[in-house]
Amino acid sequence: MIAIEGLSFSFAGSTRPALHDVDLHVAPGEFVAIAGPSGCGKSTLALAIGGYLFRQYEGQAGGRVSVASMDVQQRPIHDVAEIVGLVQQNPEAQFCTLTVQDELAFGLENRRLPPDEICERMGWALSIVGAEHLADRSLVELSGGEKQKVAVAAMMATKPQVLIFDEPTSNLDPTATADIFEVIARIREKADVTVIVIEHKLDYLRPFAPRMVVMESGRIVYDGPFEGAPRPPDLLSRQSPPIPATGDGRGAVVRVEDLHAGYDGTRALHGVSVEFHPGESVAVMGDNGSGKTTFVHSLLGLLKPQQGRVEVLGHDTRQVPVSRMARQVGLIFQNPDHQLFADSVWEEAVLAPRNLDLLDGRTRQLVEEYLQRGGLGQRLDDHPHRLSYGEKRRLNLISILSYDPQIILLDEVLIGQDPASAAFLLELVRERVEGGSTAVMVNHAPQVSQAYATRLLFFDGGQIVVDAPPDEAFDRLAAMGRDAYLPPGKVASKAAGAPMATARQDKRPASATPGLVPKGQP
Amino acid sequence: MKARITYQPGHSFLHRLHPLVKTAWLVLGTVLVFVVHSPWPVWGAVALLLVGFFLAGARLGQVRGSRLFVTTALLLGLLQVLFVQEGSTLLDIGPLTVTTGGLQAAAYVAGRFLAVILLSYLFVLTTEPNDLAYALMRAGLPYRYGFALITALRLVPTFEQEGQIVYNAQLARGIEYDVRSPRRFVTLARQFFMPLLVSALGRVDSLSVSMEGRCFGKYPERTFLRQVRMGAGDWGAVAVLIVVGVVGTLVYW
Repeated sequence: MIAIEGLSFSFAGSTRPALHDVDLHVAPGEFVAIAGPSGCGKSTLALAIGGYLFRQYEGQAGGRVSVASMDVQQRPIHDVAEIVGLVQQNPEAQFCTLTVQDELAFGLENRRLPPDEICERMGWALSIVGAEHLADRSLVELSGGEKQKVAVAAMMATKPQVLIFDEPTSNLDPTATADIFEVIARIREKADVTVIVIEHKLDYLRPFAPRMVVMESGRIVYDGPFEGAPRPPDLLSRQSPPIPATGDGRGAVVRVEDLHAGYDGTRALHGVSVEFHPGESVAVMGDNGSGKTTFVHSLLGLLKPQQGRVEVLGHDTRQVPVSRMARQVGLIFQNPDHQLFADSVWEEAVLAPRNLDLLDGRTRQLVEEYLQRGGLGQRLDDHPHRLSYGEKRRLNLISILSYDPQIILLDEVLIGQDPASAAFLLELVRERVEGGSTAVMVNHAPQVSQAYATRLLFFDGGQIVVDAPPDEAFDRLAAMGRDAYLPPGKVASKAAGAPMATARQDKRPASATPGLVPKGQP
Repeated sequence: MKARITYQPGHSFLHRLHPLVKTAWLVLGTVLVFVVHSPWPVWGAVALLLVGFFLAGARLGQVRGSRLFVTTALLLGLLQVLFVQEGSTLLDIGPLTVTTGGLQAAAYVAGRFLAVILLSYLFVLTTEPNDLAYALMRAGLPYRYGFALITALRLVPTFEQEGQIVYNAQLARGIEYDVRSPRRFVTLARQFFMPLLVSALGRVDSLSVSMEGRCFGKYPERTFLRQVRMGAGDWGAVAVLIVVGVVGTLVYW
């Protein structure tokens, strides 16, 4: 179905090839998973198979790519698109219309299919992804997981022979992630299609027993069975001794009392009360839309309480301007591109301390040290937007840690990070927490919460429904049926027969959920 | 917080009216308001439009900018009262002289302004822009232009949201919007727009992959699933528009 021979590609302006002498042959109906660290060339390979790489990007290409005997390099994209469908990372970024129906019809209308056939195919595609109930909805109303289901359905409606998923769950919470893998399983069951999944979350792929391709620096370094594939260094489960819990007896640095808050007049938080102490590392988890980001923004004062009170280091956030609060509270947002402002790596790293009048000799020294450790020591004069995604994220963190804020707020900073890059960020934060700072970290990875947090808050419907040390919190989440939020150890112990309540049944990658049994598996 | 000047979902007759019929009313209605020279039909139109707001269930008082245009209409009227000195004098106190001509001009100018604004508001509040784009394409607008409009509609809220995120991220880095000098202003503007630009370019990449990956532009024409047909109400609205247009033109041209 797919034949790639000696494929190399260098993007214009880059000295390093993104792909280097790649050979890959995929048979019809095969299920292939591609993994590897950020920037290893996985997405570039997906773009090459769809033909986009050769038509939409400037660069130097060598080798051959053919799909269903079609020479992809020589044909226009819309010819290749008759065979290859590509589902991208961010569901929202790939929508061309405003409603579910328009979105599903889009590719079919472009192919000049008659309305009757469009309707028939839409119904089929929605049933495959289990989203018939979304047919009459507007896209903006959907959750992240629902949006990604619609994006998959829109591709399926065009009946591609090859379907590529490029990190389809990187923007999704664990519940939605499990949903999407269930959709992939259904596609394997019901449609005759070759599937390629690019994914960091290997645990979710295990039930499919896919053929595994591992890439590194633009090359394929492994191509074989899933079980034999080299695993990325599992730095997240390094299990250093847990940080002492609940601070050191000093007073609370954050006091939140009966907080009601939200953007644009809506309410995302409904009566949140909590206290944080020095030396605490707090993991904040919960489904997208449960109020986590609103909570974190409230702690810096970006969002003022509609009701209740937020006191940070003795200051009411209603009374103190954000710029003053920022001296003691460092916040990093989800998307690194939204928070790089200076013209060079060095200037970006010292931007916050300079603005806050905190740029002294010690801070400069600290910035230099962090940049060296983060592998950015040789790139001080580069423009920050020329860095890779992982490098940008490291620079974001360095720019707030350099002036040593007492409270560190991290909002889903691990999205799209490979394990090594994630571990660097987490180790820096851990050092600061051990030095007496307080970290509040919104994240979706149970292993991270288990290894790096002293306390776990779980949000649901704008309220904190669990607040406990991670181990105890996971037990309670298991009892609530929130399996998607459990680290592998806890899932195993639950499967071993521990009695659990079933308030809400989530899916879990390694579980025996029927829909997750891939084609050809018992 | 007041609602944006944007479509407010509903099921009223005005909501259900064909988007192109509403567009015709918007264009011809505006022309007519400028053609007539008397305040009475203009204020009649204002009254009808207010009834339209009521029937559409659109709450004008809750829409952003409503206070501004009412104030502007009053000011426009006041200027006419102060500066138009025609007809018989009604009031003469020191430098202030109010004449019948002044009052008439005030009623006409303020009414005309209000009628045009209210008509536009009513159109925007009851017309789903997406429906309008599809209706225009069905009526013959080349689909590439139609989708340019749809893409813009889709991305405007996204950029607005991203602007808010960038602004928040800047506050979190201690950036203050204290414009002390033109140079500082340029720096602030660059620091604000650069992240937005980078993000926009990324979005354009994703969107073009998504569009081309679904054969957008493969053929000069495409089919449409949406069947936007003219109903009896639509034809009625067109008939009324023709009558109003003809009578208005005959009487006031």
